[in-house]
Amino acid sequence: MIVELGHYALVLAFALTLVQCVLPLWGALSGDDRLMAVAPPVSVMLFVLVLISFVALTVAYLNSDFSVLNVLQNSHSAKPLIYKFTGVWGNHEGSMLLWVLILVFFGALVGFFGGNLPKDLKAATLSVQAWVSAGFILFLLATSNPFERVVNPPLEGADLNPILQDIGLAIHPPLLYVGYVGFSITFSFAVAALLLGRTDAAWARWVRPWTLLAWCFLTLGIAMGSYWAYYELGWGGWWFWDPVENASFMPWIAGTALLHSAIVMEKREALKIWTVLLAIFTFSLSLLGTFLVRSGVLTSVHAFATDPARGVFILVLLCIFIGGSLSLYAWRAPMLKQGGLFAPISREGGLVLNNLFLTAACAAVFVGTLYPLALDAITGEKISVGAPFFNLTFGPLMVPLLMAIPFGPVLSWKRGDLHAASQRLYAAFGLALLFALVTFWLWGMEKVLAPMGVGLAVWVMAGAVSEIVTRVKFFEIGPKRGFARLVGLPGSAWGTVVAHFGVGVTVLGIVTASAFQEERIETMRPGDSVELSGYEVTFDGAAPRRGPNYTEEVGHFTIRKAGAYVADLDPSKRVYTARQMPTTEAGIHTTGFSQLYLSLGESRGDGAVDVRVYYKPLITLIWIGCVIMSLGAVFSMADRRLRVGAPKPAARRKAVQTAAAE
Amino acid sequence: MIFWILLAVMTGVAALCVLVPLARAGKAQARADGSADEAVYREQLSAIDSELDRGLIEPEAAEAARTEIARRLLAAHDKNEQQHQTTASGGRLKAAQVFALAALPLFALGTYFALGSPEEPDQPLITRLSAPAEGQSVDVLLARVERHLSENPEDGQGWSVIAPVYLSMGQPQASARAYANAIRILGPNPEWLTDMGEALTMANQGLVTEEARKAFEQAVALQPSAAKPRFFLAIALGQDGNIEAATKAWEDLLDGADETAAWVGVARQQLAQLKGVPSHESAPNGPSQADIAASQDLSAEDRQEMIRGMVNGLAGRLASDGGSADEWSRLIRAYMVLGEKQKAEEALAAAEAAHSDKPADLSLIKDTASSLGLSGS
Repeated sequence: MIVELGHYALVLAFALTLVQCVLPLWGALSGDDRLMAVAPPVSVMLFVLVLISFVALTVAYLNSDFSVLNVLQNSHSAKPLIYKFTGVWGNHEGSMLLWVLILVFFGALVGFFGGNLPKDLKAATLSVQAWVSAGFILFLLATSNPFERVVNPPLEGADLNPILQDIGLAIHPPLLYVGYVGFSITFSFAVAALLLGRTDAAWARWVRPWTLLAWCFLTLGIAMGSYWAYYELGWGGWWFWDPVENASFMPWIAGTALLHSAIVMEKREALKIWTVLLAIFTFSLSLLGTFLVRSGVLTSVHAFATDPARGVFILVLLCIFIGGSLSLYAWRAPMLKQGGLFAPISREGGLVLNNLFLTAACAAVFVGTLYPLALDAITGEKISVGAPFFNLTFGPLMVPLLMAIPFGPVLSWKRGDLHAASQRLYAAFGLALLFALVTFWLWGMEKVLAPMGVGLAVWVMAGAVSEIVTRVKFFEIGPKRGFARLVGLPGSAWGTVVAHFGVGVTVLGIVTASAFQEERIETMRPGDSVELSGYEVTFDGAAPRRGPNYTEEVGHFTIRKAGAYVADLDPSKRVYTARQMPTTEAGIHTTGFSQLYLSLGESRGDGAVDVRVYYKPLITLIWIGCVIMSLGAVFSMADRRLRVGAPKPAARRKAVQTAAAE
Repeated sequence: MIFWILLAVMTGVAALCVLVPLARAGKAQARADGSADEAVYREQLSAIDSELDRGLIEPEAAEAARTEIARRLLAAHDKNEQQHQTTASGGRLKAAQVFALAALPLFALGTYFALGSPEEPDQPLITRLSAPAEGQSVDVLLARVERHLSENPEDGQGWSVIAPVYLSMGQPQASARAYANAIRILGPNPEWLTDMGEALTMANQGLVTEEARKAFEQAVALQPSAAKPRFFLAIALGQDGNIEAATKAWEDLLDGADETAAWVGVARQQLAQLKGVPSHESAPNGPSQADIAASQDLSAEDRQEMIRGMVNGLAGRLASDGGSADEWSRLIRAYMVLGEKQKAEEALAAAEAAHSDKPADLSLIKDTASSLGLSGS
């Protein structure tokens, strides 16, 4: 009964999205308050219905109800409870249901918390969100129904893809999806604004928290996915420029650009047309990523579904949403009034520069991801575009952008003074130079690019800090008033500082981990030792072990530094019994921000195994930096000013007015 | 029933989500609030003031920004004034209400009936495994016992129950293991020992292995009169090439055996083979070791079918080519075992006709017939 209730809830949600598609938008266009008022409660109800259906599927997974085809194909009764739970979205149908759940979740958030929005914008936005939701629920029901039943179910399921049986999977997709799908709401805002002809500074203000929310989760999701790949795939790499990774990275770059251009729109009413276009592009890239992953065009860990019918369906959805919104844009954009003017050297100019580089970088990733696919489709020639391409295109684009980051916040609006701005950054520049020189002194010509990279990272971090310190004139007014001013700064200012600082931290981690990494690949017998970066890694032997649904070969290693015991590491190679699939689990020891990374390779018989040992200095900074960046988004979201503008009830306002008149 | 009530409740709430705001907002129309954007601009103005107070912005810049925002504020205000002239129309409201009341439930239920399986109950694994045994498939029952045994591996009774099921499902290895577990936990028992030996023999394509032989010997030690383990032990001796001992074992076994027992025919044939008495030609017609093993793998019906096939083959050959008295006796006995008395009598008549000139053979046939309760002519 629970399963069928979930199925019905999904069908009912589909019917209700159709209502939501029509009524509020009709109301917004014709100025009918009653029709517009339908949108918020229906958006919340949609969320409740999809949640019921998601919970029903989850219950089926937890109970190993193999009469549900989806459970039968992706679960196993011996699976640990946590993976029964995460297995819900570890497959095509379930993850699409999570997709839809997040779509309607964002709709419900706007419906519930969007009290400060004008009614027509809110109604139209929720309508557009319902269009997207309807498309995807239809996709679920028509091609990938998670509630399909089996009449005489077998007693055991086919198990979850073992590579996905990891705690990383429990966190990574939901975070990523909240980010990925979260940009749907900015898309809906953009389309609604175009439909209503309401693109002004206020619009940018209203969109801002939603962009920040989606961006925050996308940042965390990508970082989490990267860390998961790092310890689960056993190669010690943290970013592979894999098309699926790129598919989530492109919306992130576009979303970052959107975040910055929306500031200009909010403050100066400039870049309106561009900002709306970016909002459309960001979600279009999310959709494109979904298409690439779901259609079977890409083969990857993530490509659960390789059914051409599904690919075609998503392609049609893609064409409708992207094509439709861009046509609307082409029709409406010329009617938009240009906003405020500004000189090239100004805060606006800096943000335009940011957008320019980010867009170019996004285009580079786009080309690198899609060119091989297009080439394969047209000529049948297979090429692979790997890290060298991206390092040569994406890398150089990032360098000037990183150099420019500290300048942005110190320039003033409208007309800036580059000389005055530079003066505020002397300290940061000095610090960066110092670090670069020290690095150079330590390693010399051996690693030429490393000092520059370290200098750049320190420049971004120090630039962020010095911006806020000079902004409140900390050293001029004394620490006591200085602190008071720092605390009194608006959340968005803190958000800028924290997020930019996080960028510097990530860059530092990337530079040190790639420039100073040391690695050894050895065939080790029990008792053998390897020296690496001052650590002595001793192989004590390997032993088989049984997990609940896998068997593994565990290597025992003892780590010593200068003879003193540091840690035991147990990297392993697992074979998941149901699917006979091997995976690797790396053994990682963290000291400070650096990590010692051990991964088992082939067994050679007579107790010898291939072992890869890496020392990765400051590597955790890569992910810590991402967490700091998303913290910046949280600060910015907490900004009191984003919440003002809630219309007060008429009665109270009248009272205030009469009081003022008296 | 509860299912349908919940369906109705969900549909009702969904419809209310549309209907209630439609009805309510009509009354609360006075609450105009096109001023949301004006509020944003007012707030921007006050933010400039506070930044100026803190010294975060230069006075001239603040003045310029203020002018700009004020311009936006005025524009927004004008626009909002104009917008408030639109009125709600009754037609739209009607259309929306029909939408919510009729189209929504009809569409949802229609789609659900097309896609869903409302009659299909949930089937959590736990409930399936603990449901009443009647009407359950063997697979479910087997899985249930297996799950029970993996949790209570010391339940000897459970092992003894599952062992013959494995055997009948063609998993002699698993069956032997189950018997071994039952014996280990509950102590030796001649039947289990015998069945374990049989399972092991079947798992080895009819070869009585050392392990199986030990099981049979233990069974005989516990119950010297048991026929089945002795039968297999005799086969084992034959397989070892120990003809003398094997012959003796078969003779001991047949001595005082119940002639209607199914194994007697095989035993006689084995014995005959060992003695080399009946000519070489009869040997291939008896069931071989592999045949026995194969017949054990079959279901009761299949086994019957196989036996019938062999009997028909024998009958056909004897009718066309004739045969020894021994073969005729076997055919008669086989018909009796299969419960076909009519055919047995016919075969008896044919045998007597064929051997009427040989008194020794004739008497052998008559003996057989009388031991089976048949009276020849």
